[in-house]
Amino acid sequence: MTSWARNTTENDFAANATADQGRILVSLSGTADVTIRNHLDHFLREVHQEAQRCRAEEVTVDVRQLEFMNSSCLKCLVWWVSTVQEQPAEGKYKIVFVSSPSLYWQRRSLDALACLADDIISVQT
Amino acid sequence: MPEQAILNFGLQLQPQPRMVSVVRRFVEESFEKMVGDPDAVHRVSLAVHELLENAAKYAVGDKTGLTVHFDAQGSTASIKLTNRTTPEHIARLRACIDAIQAAAEPFVHYRNLMRSNFGTAAESGLGLARIRAEGELNLSLEIRGDTVTIVASS
Repeated sequence: MTSWARNTTENDFAANATADQGRILVSLSGTADVTIRNHLDHFLREVHQEAQRCRAEEVTVDVRQLEFMNSSCLKCLVWWVSTVQEQPAEGKYKIVFVSSPSLYWQRRSLDALACLADDIISVQT
Repeated sequence: MPEQAILNFGLQLQPQPRMVSVVRRFVEESFEKMVGDPDAVHRVSLAVHELLENAAKYAVGDKTGLTVHFDAQGSTASIKLTNRTTPEHIARLRACIDAIQAAAEPFVHYRNLMRSNFGTAAESGLGLARIRAEGELNLSLEIRGDTVTIVASS
């Protein structure tokens, strides 16, 4: 049984997060465009709060079903990784993106994100 | 298909946020079948998405014109988006595109914009910088009165 869970859906976008014993799994799917920016922003803030509360060492973000993400939603991810970077050592955690090679935008966008914080972000294909 | 075949289409649409993803999917699904380089198709569809969102936010009036040209190999492509807008937005666009054109390293410029604008919903020009860095497309701006055309081309 999971100890914490959040989800949000809007249009064809869905975001789900579960936490259990300090392990947080996030999945994003559909299209993250300007119409869902505020939903994603709120969702990521909740994930970060939970990661801090349970002292997570790692958050896994599965984006294999995320068809597209626009630049304003990408900024929400930049906020998230920048916020983690600013934490003292005990509050930091890794963010692991699990990506799809058939969604071409993911390689470029996630690589750009990883360049901002290569000590925090890793990308798996 | 002849080796030098040019594929193109034009659309006139109302600039609405809900239309943006519909058009991006249309571009991907149409050109994926005809262009030899799927990565090129996706770089163009990324540009279409970011440009149309820009129009949905800042266009004046109910008409936005979009044209997309491709050669069959995907080695050259151009996207043009035309709409009317405000003088303030024209000035912002000009500044954003000037900065992108002046950047020796598009990816570094893009990364710097990411760093300086995180957590804000304000217009940052990140979408245009993304077209240049991730889409690997050059950007230029044509202005006639209150009508602007953004050209993204390889």
